[in-house]
Amino acid sequence: MTNDETNLNDESRTVVAPYRAFSFARIAAITTNTLTELTRQKVFYFLLIFALLLIGSSAFLARFTFQQEFQILKDVSLGAMSIFTSLLAIIATARLIPQDIEDRTVYTILAKPVPRFEYLLGKLMGVLLLLAISILVMGAMFVVVLYVREQTALHETARQFANAPRDQLDAALRGLRASALNVDILPGIIIIYLKACLLAALTLFVSTFASTNIFTVVVMAVIYFIGHLQATAREYWLQEHTAGWMTRAFLGLVALFFPDLQAFNLIDDIVVGAAISLALFAKTAAIGIFYTLIYTLLGTFVFYGKEL
Amino acid sequence: MNTEPAVAVHRLTKVFPVPLHRQWVGAVRDLDLRVEPGEVYGLLGPNGSGKSTTLKIILGLVSPTRGRTEIFGRDSNRVDSRETVGFLPENPYFYKYLTGAETLRFFGKLCGLRGKQLQKRSDELLELVGLTNARNRRLGTYSKGMLQRIGLAQALINEPKLVVLDEPTAGVDPAGSREIRDLIVDLKRRGITVLLSSHLLAQVQEICDRVGILANGKLVREGRLEELIAIENQTELVLENASDTLVSEIEALAARSNARLVARRKSTTTLERLFLEATKEGKSITKSE
Repeated sequence: MTNDETNLNDESRTVVAPYRAFSFARIAAITTNTLTELTRQKVFYFLLIFALLLIGSSAFLARFTFQQEFQILKDVSLGAMSIFTSLLAIIATARLIPQDIEDRTVYTILAKPVPRFEYLLGKLMGVLLLLAISILVMGAMFVVVLYVREQTALHETARQFANAPRDQLDAALRGLRASALNVDILPGIIIIYLKACLLAALTLFVSTFASTNIFTVVVMAVIYFIGHLQATAREYWLQEHTAGWMTRAFLGLVALFFPDLQAFNLIDDIVVGAAISLALFAKTAAIGIFYTLIYTLLGTFVFYGKEL
Repeated sequence: MNTEPAVAVHRLTKVFPVPLHRQWVGAVRDLDLRVEPGEVYGLLGPNGSGKSTTLKIILGLVSPTRGRTEIFGRDSNRVDSRETVGFLPENPYFYKYLTGAETLRFFGKLCGLRGKQLQKRSDELLELVGLTNARNRRLGTYSKGMLQRIGLAQALINEPKLVVLDEPTAGVDPAGSREIRDLIVDLKRRGITVLLSSHLLAQVQEICDRVGILANGKLVREGRLEELIAIENQTELVLENASDTLVSEIEALAARSNARLVARRKSTTTLERLFLEATKEGKSITKSE
């Protein structure tokens, strides 16, 4: 350490921008830092597993017809994307706040002029950015593999129908193209992303009052389970029992706190070649965004009252 | 001239509930404290006496049960009260995956610094705390002393008017501890108020203008250091090159005026100074080899 006073004399005083109650720059700093943290912890390694799964399954599927192959490839890939992003959302978010509290880094950050909601928002945005990058990379890998397989299938079909009439060849190629890469996949991928955003926000909320990472992950596993089963359970309950106002209120509360995660499972329709209606897409997306906002607000509320 | 205190604590009480026991533990009780601008104030006390809790309440990290705290007249609950504050927590752990320079850039951005100004300020502080050569190393590879120094650098990134240090030399070796002490003295010279908590009394004695002693959450002593530790009816003379005859004459003179000689001893250096000199010699021998 030097005692070089010329470095910090009055003439060279740093001019700090006056404090503002809300600052995108502060949130961006925390977002970038969170993304750096997650990236340097090598969470992207799971993308390798996805790539291996994709390549492995496409090699295995070579024994089916092309239409069957495309259908299974879509089913496996979109299903894997959904599970991987959900897992990543929960595991990456669960440790962010408790770790900062345990390491006391949260003291250093909040002792700066940083409102608590900006801190939480920055952390969440970091995870959402990570999820967006992951799903883009997985989506790109999926599209490339599907495109390559489609091209192979088209060449193979053209070769098989070389001596057949022109309209038969055209019909075969049209059938192939319809079952391979098409724009209907996109809304399905967006909904997978929004489901992951919802899970990340919910995990952040749970982690604001959890004392350990394990607690958060276990609670989230239970919520994930209930979230996927609650719609079926609700239908069964309402059919089998006379639904009084108390039952309805209870079911309403369950539905409010445990989002119907099965509603985000639109990929089954896409896999069999059915396009998702715009209304269903908009409704599911709105539910995803609504829950993400609600859980972020609840997390902020709890975190404001938290003794650090 | 600004007469507003740098830190004002009014009748502060903080109790923590004990989970599942329907009991409450009082961490701070009816504490009144005032730190004037430009002074170095030491909050002393044994472990668990409420020092860290008091600092956390002042910084808005913990809410008080009763009473209030202010920083330069602004209530600690307001985020903007921390605009001109730098804080170094006890045994800080920063993000291990960031380098020294990245750490300062991150905290600078949180304080509203941007671009070239942020770059310049980070460079200055890395130089000041002697970490220029380690600027691109990740904090995971830093020693405890280095972490403490990068912690001090981040506390100073926004040119604060008040620096709060919670046990700034805990776990640091004597040389590192001396460097931190020098830096605190430098902060004081530049008019920056320093509020620090410590239980290393010798160090506090060297640098603090005023001290407050906490015990079981209550302020049991407070005042200017020299007044608190002075023994009113005793005076010390330190002589250099005094012959035995001169010392005997002084003793005889004292006896004639009804004063009592309490102790006569050789002046000693401190163990800390001896350690620093010895380790410095060791270093220069290694270099010359």
